[in-house]
Amino acid sequence: MTELVFKNIGRFLFLVFLQILILNNIQLGGYINPYLYIYFILLLPWETPRWLLLLSSFLIGITIDMFTNTPGLNAASSVMMASFRPLIIRSLSTGTEFLIGENPSLKNQGMKWFFNYSLLLVLIHHTVLFFLETFRISEFLMTSLRMILSVVFTMILIFGAEYLFYSKK
Amino acid sequence: MRNLLYFLRKHYFIFLAVALEVISLVIFVQYNAFQNNALTRFSSTMSGSVLDISNDVSEYFSLRRANRILAEDNARLHSNRPEAFYRADTNMFYRKDTLYMLEYRYISAKVISNTTNKRNNFLLLNKGRKQGIQNNMGVIIGNRIVGQVISVSDHFSWVMSLLNKDSRISGKFKKNNQLVNIEWNGGNYRYGEVKEIPKHVQIWRGDTIITSGNSDIFPEGLLIGTVHEFTVAPEDNFNRAILTFSTDFNSLSYVEVIIDLMRQEKEEVKGTFNPSN
Repeated sequence: MTELVFKNIGRFLFLVFLQILILNNIQLGGYINPYLYIYFILLLPWETPRWLLLLSSFLIGITIDMFTNTPGLNAASSVMMASFRPLIIRSLSTGTEFLIGENPSLKNQGMKWFFNYSLLLVLIHHTVLFFLETFRISEFLMTSLRMILSVVFTMILIFGAEYLFYSKK
Repeated sequence: MRNLLYFLRKHYFIFLAVALEVISLVIFVQYNAFQNNALTRFSSTMSGSVLDISNDVSEYFSLRRANRILAEDNARLHSNRPEAFYRADTNMFYRKDTLYMLEYRYISAKVISNTTNKRNNFLLLNKGRKQGIQNNMGVIIGNRIVGQVISVSDHFSWVMSLLNKDSRISGKFKKNNQLVNIEWNGGNYRYGEVKEIPKHVQIWRGDTIITSGNSDIFPEGLLIGTVHEFTVAPEDNFNRAILTFSTDFNSLSYVEVIIDLMRQEKEEVKGTFNPSN
């Protein structure tokens, strides 16, 4: 149990530093900005108490905000994403058992399930984030384009990480 | 009462989710309304100390470029010194007089964090209130504009880059002094938009746009960009143009903050006269 807690705290810190030191500096034509830190919320264990799910999502969002001078923006997107997580897990039935101490993964739940699960949550997060950041109807198409490109890039990074760290066990 | 408690316990997840969402949104909205509050000061001090370390590493990769820009700047300044001019009139002499007063002073600061890929971009500088930086000061690199200071802590300051939806620069065409507004519409960080060009103004590709000096933030004559392409809109009262920014926002390493020594005096004058009454 303690091991599980430390593992998640470690993942929290690693993803925050990855986001602020490397991913925020990625420059591809001005359109793409991946947000891999939400991978932390995707990978929280199945039996995480739901209040902890919300609070830790709020915490990771507000931490990222501190470093990008956008207080509240990432926090609002992360909390929105976290509040949909139980609903999405319930509606996407897996047919497999949820084991204590495990977390959603490509290996255990399969390609199709994990793809749907992460795509839906990433979409929720990015929609809130990009439209709240822009907050203008006149730039709707431009914002949508930037959002979709970033969703694609974030998804590629999530699957890259899944194959890299969790497939060979 | 028991039913109420039961209800709250049963649905606590929704209540907590809504509460946290509201808290985030309040922080988000409040922050935009009241700049330079306790939250920003905490944010700039904390992120400043972490990003400063990371910048110590990444700084080495941009030294070549920073050197080139500094060398160009030196050359420009050298050519403005009195010694650089040929004295055609031998009767002329210099006199120390009171006609010239120092209006602007410049502080060099290091950029320790910068983005160009978001809709609203900010820079973090390693100088703050202790070094004389205040809100609303202009930030430039050489003779090109970068942005304006929006919040300061003791040793760090956040700068709103030109690449921000709240940024609106008053500029003018260098060739005929026609006033225009410059904004950034997201997307590519190299191109901005020139708005409200009067119909009768002839535009050509490559026309230079400089700061107008109408706002108190930037002195007159700093480079903003050159016209990249323009569209003539027959149904509209104004033409629009796309401009290429003179500043390369993606490679900023050292910038200068403009201290306007007469700012207080200018504000006093503005306070005494209100044109709307």
